Amino acid sequence: MSPTRRSASLSARIIVASVFVALLVASAFAVMISALGAIDDAEQRETRSKNVLEATLGLEKLVGDLETGELAFTLTGDDRLLEPWTRALGQLDKRLTGFVQLSADNPGQQRRARELATAIRDYVVYFLEPIVRLARENAAAARTSVARLEGKDQTDEIRRRFKEFTDAEDALAAASAANAERAADRALALGIAGLVLSALLIILFGVYLARSTAQPVRAAASAASRVAAGDLSTRVPEHGPGEVGELTVAFNRMADALERSHAELESQNEQLRQSERRKSELVRIVSHELRTPLASVLGFTSILLDRDVAPEERQRYLGIINAQSRRLSSLLNDFLDAERMEEGELELSRQLIDLGSVVAEQVQLYKGQSTKHRLDAELPPRQLPVNGDPNRLAQVIGNLLSNAIKYSPNGGTVHVQAEQVNGVVRVSVRDEGLGIPDELQQGVFAKFFRGDADASGIPGTGLGLTIARSVVEAHGGRMNFSSARGKGSVFWLELPMAANGQ
Amino acid sequence: VPTPAKTILICEDDQHLRQLIRVVIGEGFRYAEAHDGDEAVQLALALRPQLIILDLMLPKRSGAEVLEAVRKELPAEETPVILVSAWPDADEAAVKGGVDGFLSKPFEPDELTTMVHAVVGEA
Repeated sequence: MSPTRRSASLSARIIVASVFVALLVASAFAVMISALGAIDDAEQRETRSKNVLEATLGLEKLVGDLETGELAFTLTGDDRLLEPWTRALGQLDKRLTGFVQLSADNPGQQRRARELATAIRDYVVYFLEPIVRLARENAAAARTSVARLEGKDQTDEIRRRFKEFTDAEDALAAASAANAERAADRALALGIAGLVLSALLIILFGVYLARSTAQPVRAAASAASRVAAGDLSTRVPEHGPGEVGELTVAFNRMADALERSHAELESQNEQLRQSERRKSELVRIVSHELRTPLASVLGFTSILLDRDVAPEERQRYLGIINAQSRRLSSLLNDFLDAERMEEGELELSRQLIDLGSVVAEQVQLYKGQSTKHRLDAELPPRQLPVNGDPNRLAQVIGNLLSNAIKYSPNGGTVHVQAEQVNGVVRVSVRDEGLGIPDELQQGVFAKFFRGDADASGIPGTGLGLTIARSVVEAHGGRMNFSSARGKGSVFWLELPMAANGQ
Repeated sequence: VPTPAKTILICEDDQHLRQLIRVVIGEGFRYAEAHDGDEAVQLALALRPQLIILDLMLPKRSGAEVLEAVRKELPAEETPVILVSAWPDADEAAVKGGVDGFLSKPFEPDELTTMVHAVVGEA
């Protein structure tokens, strides 16, 4: 398994991001709603200020009524004209208390209201009421300028206090309104900032989703198309959030599996093709190897049948027919042997034999085959006992000798040596022939291997060494060679020495 | 004055087959024998034989290569060629090479004599 880092799943990421953005939007709205609240508060404060100012105006009017009543009475002495005064005086206490209470929320205003109320009360109690009383008793005295002048000071004082109070109230209302406006502005700005931030976050998350999701998914899609088109080596970079990352990893795993099974199929196919090629090669070789001797047999028998042939000629033809028939027979045996070996059915008789004398016999047999070659055998005086099949082993040694002669077309010495080395019997055949180039050495023991023998005109089926090595191995021995192009070859075999031969 | 005997060049790596071909065609011709492709080309150009019997599978140079080399110097009407092969599908090569006859191994002696007489006439 590849070390995939487990990233949070994509759906978890989307949920977290959505919740975060939703909270942000909700807070922005909450801040904006709080701004509405601030505006509401400011409105309430304004209403109260209006009430306070109305009450102040009412109070001013009341004081005016008191003054008017007093003045009218003082000037005329007419009791009827005192009626507004009496009515206003009756309301005064209640109005003053109410007035003070209205500013209960602001200590400064309440203090001013109390002082104003006290000043009004003092004015009423210490000036107006005494004047009215004096006017009842002595109208002329009440009208004197000293008394009036005294009242004028107090009236001015009250007027000043009224102005002070209303100015303060106006200032309060204005400050409150400004406050509310500031708060509303701030809340609105915060809310808008929150919304803008939310929008930005949503866009960023969208871009992130597109980048991290769409891009790997698109890569996987186009890679899938390439795989479908046959390019099984296509892989995608293994990244992306959560499920997308898993998709890329899974894609690559799928492509790996496809490539593996494709390669397996391909190699099976190649094996099949090779075996097909070998089969048709077999047919070709069998056909060619059999047809040439067959042509001689058929041709000479036809001549013997159809023509009058002199006795000595007839003898020669029969000799050729005989030799070619044997050649056919041994070719067939080679094919059969190769076939049997393929099926693992090579049968061996086991008996105690002297490999030295087998070698000597074969050397003797092959000495007559070529005038260009000198065969010399180097054999120990003692026997070389092995447990084995004499015919098969003779076939093996004969094959090595035959090859040594065939593959040294310019003649030379073929040196055969048999010896006993470390509990094994070793036979080697050295020639001074063509040798085997490095690039061909690997295939020497393969079935139907002929090297460049075809080009050199050296006959054969490419089965001899395959059979020879199988026979040696079936005896528990081994067989190999060393060679170089143009330097001749040494083929050798080793067989276990028979135990009772010591 | 008897006309000089015609020359037949036999290019075949199997000595028994060379002998068979000679015996089948019989006396009255002069025979030359080549064991491989190189020798076949050399002898063909040197002897300018009246007939070449050419095995397709020759050492050193294949019969097809020999034919190509020979045809560069000797036109078909001057030097007819009979191809011999173990491959039944060599017919195709025979047609392509512009040869006068094709024999596939193994062949009946009569096939060969008929073909030879058709190409060069009686001895």
